[in-house]
Amino acid sequence: MMTAGPKPSTPPAGLSGTAAIVGIGETDYVRGSDKSILQMVLGASMDAINDAGLTPNDIDGILPPPGFVAWDEIAAHLGVKDVRYTSTPQMGGASPTAALLTATMAIAAGVATTVLVPIGWNGYSAIRPKPGARPNRRRFTAAFFETVRNLYAPYGLRSAPWWYALYLQRYVDLYDVPPEAAGAVALACRKHAQLNKRALMRDRPMTMQDYLDSPYITTPLRKLDCCVETDCAAAVVLTSTERARDLPHRPVVYLGGAEGHSAPADELTNRPDVLRLGLHAGAPRAFEMAGVRVSDMDFLEIYDCFTYVVLLQLEALGLAEPGGAADFVKGGTLELGGRYPLNTHGGLMSQGHCWGLNHVVEATRQLRGEAGRSQVEDAELGLVTGYGDLGDGSIAILARGDR
Amino acid sequence: MSGEKVPGKVIGKPDDLNLELFTAIVASDRMCLQKCDNCGNYHHPPRMYCNRCFSGDHSYPPVSGAGTVHSYTVSHHTAEPAWRAELPFVSVVVELDEGPRVVGAGVVDDPESVRIGQRVQVVPERRTDDFAYLTVHFDKQDNR
Repeated sequence: MMTAGPKPSTPPAGLSGTAAIVGIGETDYVRGSDKSILQMVLGASMDAINDAGLTPNDIDGILPPPGFVAWDEIAAHLGVKDVRYTSTPQMGGASPTAALLTATMAIAAGVATTVLVPIGWNGYSAIRPKPGARPNRRRFTAAFFETVRNLYAPYGLRSAPWWYALYLQRYVDLYDVPPEAAGAVALACRKHAQLNKRALMRDRPMTMQDYLDSPYITTPLRKLDCCVETDCAAAVVLTSTERARDLPHRPVVYLGGAEGHSAPADELTNRPDVLRLGLHAGAPRAFEMAGVRVSDMDFLEIYDCFTYVVLLQLEALGLAEPGGAADFVKGGTLELGGRYPLNTHGGLMSQGHCWGLNHVVEATRQLRGEAGRSQVEDAELGLVTGYGDLGDGSIAILARGDR
Repeated sequence: MSGEKVPGKVIGKPDDLNLELFTAIVASDRMCLQKCDNCGNYHHPPRMYCNRCFSGDHSYPPVSGAGTVHSYTVSHHTAEPAWRAELPFVSVVVELDEGPRVVGAGVVDDPESVRIGQRVQVVPERRTDDFAYLTVHFDKQDNR
């Protein structure tokens, strides 16, 4: 049989450094917003556009996530008059960070000049509606929902903790991962949330004993291994790095990034190695494109839907061997003041769940030097990861740009 | 018990190839898997093309149902009323001897006793003409 031969290892030419994040916006992270999803998304988008020193007329690309809001209503309500490019990544929580790559491609190719990446949802209120509230209008279309309906949900495995537990228990058993390793992730996020006035879990500090005492949801996941459901929205604006120099803030340059997907993507128990995430495939490509190593990173904003998923991503990034994340996180590695501060805003675990676009917003603040009490000293390089659906991965490597 | 209807639990409503698979399981009252008619490779969930030889021809023969525990999770909490009385319950990823893995409900007195590598038997229980619930039995094997 003929084969296509090895894939070229050359990174995509001409992408690294061509686009930059120039505007950021986010709502508060709350349980029970009075606003609709569309209102929240438009508010965060307008904040991001204003932050960039632009108006909606400057936006010509819109890359919304799947399921909640669509590009056409965003454009119509903001008054965007000349939309040249739209697309929606279909990979759940990996979508916003993946959209940064798509935006960079569109900008580098000259298809669009200034791209809005928005996200928002009622992650808390959707399943706890206020009296009289209308249900969400839209639904997701990813094929894996068919898998869930027929192969997982009949067994009581109806939402994310139960799906991911199907492989995380194997991770724990195979490598004897102690709960304290996952606890170190939860504690770092909670500690950093204490410094963030917008974090849901501000003023609620946590100890390792609190973590260990929290009840199991489904093994190996305890309640405090799970992120917090919130109502929120966030948005970022990208444009060419060249144009970014004329805008108000120091540009945060897109140095490299990638998507990565396990095979099959629509079912997680039949992968040859169930512990190989999309990020395992994507991370090396991103570092190659960026021309940097993971050891060059000053901070990590890692998609933290569940603590153990963060441990696996640390390994996927090359920071530890398979099973080695438990040792890696010992001794405050992930805390501010440690070698690799994690989720300096509190993350999905303790700031709120905004599909990881809140991680992009925070990385931008860090690289602008505007992260306040959470600022990592002399931060020049950082990364953001996304994780979604049944393990799709995305990564963005960002750099402090020149003024 | 075969044919027992459990109110409130999600019952699968398969389409397309999943419907072909579950119809074969219900009709034979045995575990079945999609098998490539060209190279003999087994797939789960079923696929339009064999991922080894890319043939589009396949059938759904019965298989032994024997396999090993590849992974599992013990649920101590549920958002579903239908599952509350069964807490804690164990869900098992079984690697069947033919290669593919399936998820099923563990039938075991002590969920904490489940270990990766244990030999198990997958037994389908008919729920509708289109769907069978897979149970995973430990007692029929010589476990440690």
